[in-house]
Amino acid sequence: MEKDATLDAKGLMCPMPIVQLAKKVKELKSGQVLELIADDVGAKDDVPAWCHRTGHQLVGQEEEGKVFRFYIRMK
Amino acid sequence: MADRFCMVVSEGSFDKAMMPLIMGNTAASMGMEVHVFYTFFGLKLLKKGVKPKLPGLWRIGTGMMIKKMMKLNVPGYEEMLKQAKELGVNFYACSTSMSLMGVKQEDLIDGTKVLGASKFLDLAADSKVTLFIG
Repeated sequence: MEKDATLDAKGLMCPMPIVQLAKKVKELKSGQVLELIADDVGAKDDVPAWCHRTGHQLVGQEEEGKVFRFYIRMK
Repeated sequence: MADRFCMVVSEGSFDKAMMPLIMGNTAASMGMEVHVFYTFFGLKLLKKGVKPKLPGLWRIGTGMMIKKMMKLNVPGYEEMLKQAKELGVNFYACSTSMSLMGVKQEDLIDGTKVLGASKFLDLAADSKVTLFIG
């Protein structure tokens, strides 16, 4: 999937991937797509919930073994 | 107006120290406005340089738990506090508990506001989520 930036949050436990995600989106512009990589099991539902709450759009989600990839379009 | 999230913390052990920060920092990262009110034994968590311990007999295992957390990349209490401040989490010290425990404003970490119950309840009354940690 096309992306404008990547945030690798592998090895970080809840809530760090979400905290870092919130920091990262401040650097991005509306319409850009951020790829977030995480391996905390909680992230699987946390990231969609974060998107739902903040209004950013989750445009893709992949699972590869224990690694999750999320693609988020900035609102 | 951003969704508001209010918490009351009434215990001062390590677990009660971490929980509101994990919840609060997550909520702030989700764009919520976070208010945490520390009362009774919870108040000591706002004292400068505090190193909270696990409750009761678990106390002696605190160091081991912190080591385990470091291995898992979970930030420590000080780091979480720093993060909370960066995220704009609001910390309040209960005015009555301060008198009761002999705690002064200058003992508290910078940015802590001293508050009475009414003002906090006023905030909580317009809050989407409220939790009691104690």
